[in-house]
Amino acid sequence: MSLLRVCAFTSKRLNTQLLFVDLSFAGCLRTASGAAKDKEPLRKAKTPQGRFDMDDEKPKDPLQKFPDDVNPATKEQGGPRGPEPTRYGDWERKGRCVDF
Amino acid sequence: MPKNSYLPWYFLPGTTHYYENVLLLNKHSDRQISQYPVVDHHFDAVVVGAGGAGLRAAFGLSEAGFNTACVTKLFPTRSHTVAAQGGINAALGNMEADDWRWHFYDTVKGSDWLGDQDAIHYMTEQAPASVVELENFGMPFSRTEDGKIYQRAFGGQSLKFGKGGQAHRCCCVADRTGHSLLHTLYGRSLRFDTSYFVEYFALDLLMEDGECKGVIAFCMEDGSIHRFRSKNTVIATGGYGRTYFSCTSAHTSTGDGNAMVTRAGLPCQDLEFVQFHPTGIYGAGCLITEGCRGEGGILINSEGERFMERYAPNAKDLASRDVVSRSMTIEIREGRGCGPEKDHVYLQLHHLPPQQLAVRLPGISETAMIFAGVEVTKEPIPVLPTVHYNMGGVPTNYKGQVITHVGGEDKVVPGLYACGEAACASVHGANRLGANSLLDLVVFGRACALTIAETGTPGEKLSPLKPNAGEESVANLDKIRFAEGTIRTSEIRLNMQKTMQNHAAVFRTGDLLKEGCDKMDAIYQSMEDIKTFDRGIVWNTDLVESLELQNLMLNAVQTIHSAEARKESRGAHAREDYQDRMDELDYAKPLAGQEKKSFDQHWRKHTLSTVDIKTGKVTLGYRPVIDRSLDQEECSAIPPAIRSY
Repeated sequence: MSLLRVCAFTSKRLNTQLLFVDLSFAGCLRTASGAAKDKEPLRKAKTPQGRFDMDDEKPKDPLQKFPDDVNPATKEQGGPRGPEPTRYGDWERKGRCVDF
Repeated sequence: MPKNSYLPWYFLPGTTHYYENVLLLNKHSDRQISQYPVVDHHFDAVVVGAGGAGLRAAFGLSEAGFNTACVTKLFPTRSHTVAAQGGINAALGNMEADDWRWHFYDTVKGSDWLGDQDAIHYMTEQAPASVVELENFGMPFSRTEDGKIYQRAFGGQSLKFGKGGQAHRCCCVADRTGHSLLHTLYGRSLRFDTSYFVEYFALDLLMEDGECKGVIAFCMEDGSIHRFRSKNTVIATGGYGRTYFSCTSAHTSTGDGNAMVTRAGLPCQDLEFVQFHPTGIYGAGCLITEGCRGEGGILINSEGERFMERYAPNAKDLASRDVVSRSMTIEIREGRGCGPEKDHVYLQLHHLPPQQLAVRLPGISETAMIFAGVEVTKEPIPVLPTVHYNMGGVPTNYKGQVITHVGGEDKVVPGLYACGEAACASVHGANRLGANSLLDLVVFGRACALTIAETGTPGEKLSPLKPNAGEESVANLDKIRFAEGTIRTSEIRLNMQKTMQNHAAVFRTGDLLKEGCDKMDAIYQSMEDIKTFDRGIVWNTDLVESLELQNLMLNAVQTIHSAEARKESRGAHAREDYQDRMDELDYAKPLAGQEKKSFDQHWRKHTLSTVDIKTGKVTLGYRPVIDRSLDQEECSAIPPAIRSY
């Protein structure tokens, strides 16, 4: 029984070692062909994870960030983006009232 | 092993042990209650709820050396505090010379003289220190050019006791103050040794001889029951917006703390004071800014009529919020509501040039599309009056200790504290001012921690608890889990929400409220006939929602009965049949020569409501408002006057 376990253990280690060798070998091939120097990002498969990486459909935020995050009118740094939230008496953001 | 790791309870060494109770048989079935494994934990302090107030209390206690447990049904950064995007008020004096006594005056006036002036004194005096403390914890407030915290004008704040013009007191973190506050407090709390029990639903308080000895909770992940025994319990469970059909609160705002206190036989205070906003999006609950009406948007009913012209001929749609809310409700009641159920009105913006909308109100088309599903330049937005905040809650003194009123005197309940929206200190009184509630969270969260540190010591021996304490809660849980009535939880909840929206919303008159009280009593009785489907014990959301519905129901009946009994209009509680405030003296006329009305004859008092759990009968009592500040020389109390802005 213990002999089997030892065999299994050793074979697992060999397996992982082989995998490692495999990967580094593939890496060598890529650098050799110059593919790694390519500026293009890797095309990922159309899996859900892959799809989220392509952000070409990101909507433009209607509230633009101030230059250096400083509001030019009030000189506030790190303040809310867009027009003054309290200009109508309540705290407004994107048409929603969040405090009044 | 650090106590603050998110290990399952059976891995925590030393503080837990498996304890097999012998509990009564559940009368409703032949199942044995001893089938529920109960684990006992011993802590120096337990905090129920991990929002802004709960986290501040929890790490304040841990910092003071107390072995603290934080029992929460949500992960701390998912609490509803995260949705508070407004600012936090403090008289720092960065924009102009400021004094916390002026902030005190504004808050007392805003509360319509129903706020306890000692608690308001405490809050406004501690405000600058609390904001500076938050900033030292790492909260990234927006800054002026000099590097001081930037303050803006907001929320009815004035200088020189109302005579010096607008005050700039509101500090913020870009547009995510509540989110940043919660994350800052959570990050800070991880420095200390608080034990977090996340996704544990607190069922009840363990009361013995009028003293609170801990909390019994139910682990949603594996269905085990946990008794957290402690000398100090802090309730910070938030508000109960979900009793109404339209509210801005999360689905988890179910007033669990108020219900736990009610079931313990203690009173809740001022539950009839609920803050509404006129234009909340139908279905979603997000509020549409008044700026829409300011820019020319109009409210129309099902006939396409601009109905505000009838109610406020001069101001029309720019009338004050309560006038607009009441007008909308009257239109809906008279059958001119829109939609298949005729229960809302429309806010029309498509008559305005789209360019103007995009420039003046950027982001509104996105908001309308996401939350209402309408194209704002073509269709109107469905809106109705929406609940935003609950001024009432568990009555406490200015130190955060829960009180009852016995024999005409306030009496502290030993071992029980409350802070945040769940508590009623009462700093907001009849109406909350904007940006004061975030301040309320941090100040009173800290106050609870300080009071516990003053009155107790870490490692104190716990008094003995009866071995079968908490069995009624487990019996109730079992009853709900195997409920086989005819009405589903969602149906009862919708009935309650619609009834509250129709009868206990902005528009309140005697007949409407009485009708609502009768309907609510019937709906409370219908809870006996509840039907649940999931019989499991692991992550049973049907069970948790039904327990939350029980909590909501207790809050709802107290709200509507208190509103029906209060025959005056004060702050957020406005009645058509009693439109004036009824104080002990008539403050509209000169005071000389007036006779003071007795306590029973005027309404400048707090409502204390208790419920008989079996019958649903609400009993009301009253306690006087505290009119003295903490130190008359430092800050004199403000005598009542007519509130006008």
